[in-house]
Amino acid sequence: MSQTLTSSSQAVRTPAPARSPADRIAQWIPKLVLSPTLVIVVVFFYGFIFWTGLLSFTNSRMLPSYGLVGWDNYVRLFNNERWLVALGNLGIYAFLFIVICLVLGLLLAILLDQKIRAEGALRTIYLYPMALSFIVTGTVWKWMLNPQVGLEQFVQSLGWESFQFDWLVNPDFSIYTVVIAAVWQSSGFVMALFLAGLRGVDDSIIKAAQIDGASRFTIYTRIIIPSLRPVFFSAFIMLAHIAIKSFDLALALTGGGPGISSDLPAIFMYQLSFTRNQMGIGAASAMIMLLTVIAILVPYLYSELRVKKHD
Amino acid sequence: MASLNIENVEKSFDQTHILKGINMDIRDGEFIILVGPSGCGKSTLMNCIAGLEDVTSGSISIANQDITSVLPKNRDIAMVFQSYALYPNMNVRKNISFGLEIRKLPKDVIANEVDRVAKLLQIEHLLDRKPGQLSGGQRQRVAMGRALARQPKIYLFDEPLSNLDAKLRVEMRTEIKKLHQRLGTTIVYVTHDQIEAMTLADRIAVMKDGHIQQFGSPQEVYDNPANRFVAGFMGSPSMNFIEVLVVQKQDRACIELAIDGITHYLPTPDQEQRVRQMVGQTVILGIRPEQITHVIPHYDDNPGIARVDATVEVIEPTGADTLVLVRMNGQEVNCRVDPYEARQPGQVMTLMLNMGKAVFFDVDSGERI
Repeated sequence: MSQTLTSSSQAVRTPAPARSPADRIAQWIPKLVLSPTLVIVVVFFYGFIFWTGLLSFTNSRMLPSYGLVGWDNYVRLFNNERWLVALGNLGIYAFLFIVICLVLGLLLAILLDQKIRAEGALRTIYLYPMALSFIVTGTVWKWMLNPQVGLEQFVQSLGWESFQFDWLVNPDFSIYTVVIAAVWQSSGFVMALFLAGLRGVDDSIIKAAQIDGASRFTIYTRIIIPSLRPVFFSAFIMLAHIAIKSFDLALALTGGGPGISSDLPAIFMYQLSFTRNQMGIGAASAMIMLLTVIAILVPYLYSELRVKKHD
Repeated sequence: MASLNIENVEKSFDQTHILKGINMDIRDGEFIILVGPSGCGKSTLMNCIAGLEDVTSGSISIANQDITSVLPKNRDIAMVFQSYALYPNMNVRKNISFGLEIRKLPKDVIANEVDRVAKLLQIEHLLDRKPGQLSGGQRQRVAMGRALARQPKIYLFDEPLSNLDAKLRVEMRTEIKKLHQRLGTTIVYVTHDQIEAMTLADRIAVMKDGHIQQFGSPQEVYDNPANRFVAGFMGSPSMNFIEVLVVQKQDRACIELAIDGITHYLPTPDQEQRVRQMVGQTVILGIRPEQITHVIPHYDDNPGIARVDATVEVIEPTGADTLVLVRMNGQEVNCRVDPYEARQPGQVMTLMLNMGKAVFFDVDSGERI
């Protein structure tokens, strides 16, 4: 016992070896590597968000100026007819885009999950639109939907002279063409999400349900689709923020027109800030969009973090 | 409750033959275990009984009704899966009642049935939880509860205990056995664990390569294995196999066993008639470790008992017994001896060999002689 004590006290007395310079550098490397990213994030994300927020309370026109005007810009924003149209359009667009993408994506995923041939090839085809930028999608659909050169003209040339599909130039329907193009672009991605979810369902659960007497339809509606709830949630979050940010697609497809009939908040924000010399109102509209995204993201992050803690 | 008859069932996927002609007659209320190494076709056979896979040829009938082409839901069977296969989005109550709801039973009947099953398996306090909130053992109970709820003709268990830890596995094993004794329903149970097979079964079907190697009571399979594979698969530590020469000594057929340079001649047991006609040939002697023990004096008078001296090579204490490794005819042999009688490696120990329980196999085919 006494021997053990002696030896352990000896061990304590041994001084810790001095740190070599190389060790010290090795300790600093992670911090050094990460710091540029941190600076960029702080300055260009949070810094500019803060600056935009500040500008939304100033009388900035073409260039930033710092005469504080209180909530003036927000009041003028919500009295602006065009902003209200843009908000209304966003409501229609976001709702239809998200719902159709989810339904179509789920349907495609379920059909692809039936152990069919050439599934890999089909999956790639459905995913391809995702590889295009929204500008390209917008331009292509602009041609296809153009009554003079696109679908309408094509069907009429086949002999169906009275065929009409002029949504692109019809102020009542132009926003729906944006929905069509956006769905075309994003539903393949949603399908991939759902397909991954479906593949994660334990095969024996389906067998158990078969033995329990459930039909294929019941198995999907009562067991498989409900168990995909996390996938629904992730897909919804991604689609929602794509919808709120939507700018390039609508700009390339309709340019917000005819008139302001397919205007979206992002187009409104861009045009007021940079072409109409109304930077204050533009900044206010940007803040409203940011708050909308935050309103969707915060519950999502909250639930994600809570799940992690639960594990 | 029903009998189950499997006639000449074959199953192949493209060119791969999984089941090569399975015949089984299972009586009403029997507990049948399908056991075998992985890839032997036992799970496929189970899926064929359940109707989750079609048979390529042959027929299956439950209670004398041919159900070969009947859908799983109309076969009146219930199945417990290795992964439990609980519906993750439903709570325990819903999991148990799902099959009853699908069959459109009245609400009060369903509620009574759920209560009955929950009480039977002692999971009443879990009824409102989701599967994700349960431990492995609790999920196992719920999975069994779901199977019990419909009171089907036949229960199928597909390796139900292999995802549990060792202690829980033993507990659940006992509970399954109690459950069977109480309910008396026909059970077909797949496992790769030969101890589970021995403890639970009324009859064991040992499978390999798509064939049933032997179908009999646990003791029959253990004492009278049909071939070398069955003998080696059942029992732990497994049976010793020693190549020996059959010789004629003093009007008896004996086997020649060289231990530490001394040749012993041990008599073949009376019941092994056929090996006596093989004098001059080499055969495989199969003898279980517990038939080679330390010296127990009052066994000396039993027929077929012989004492031999052997040098201990390795000892493996297990607590209850110590396994001693010695060499006979140049081959390693495990002996199960009392821990206090075991010698250290390198020392010579006197062992008692009980030839009365020895069995013999053909060198080439591995079939029983």
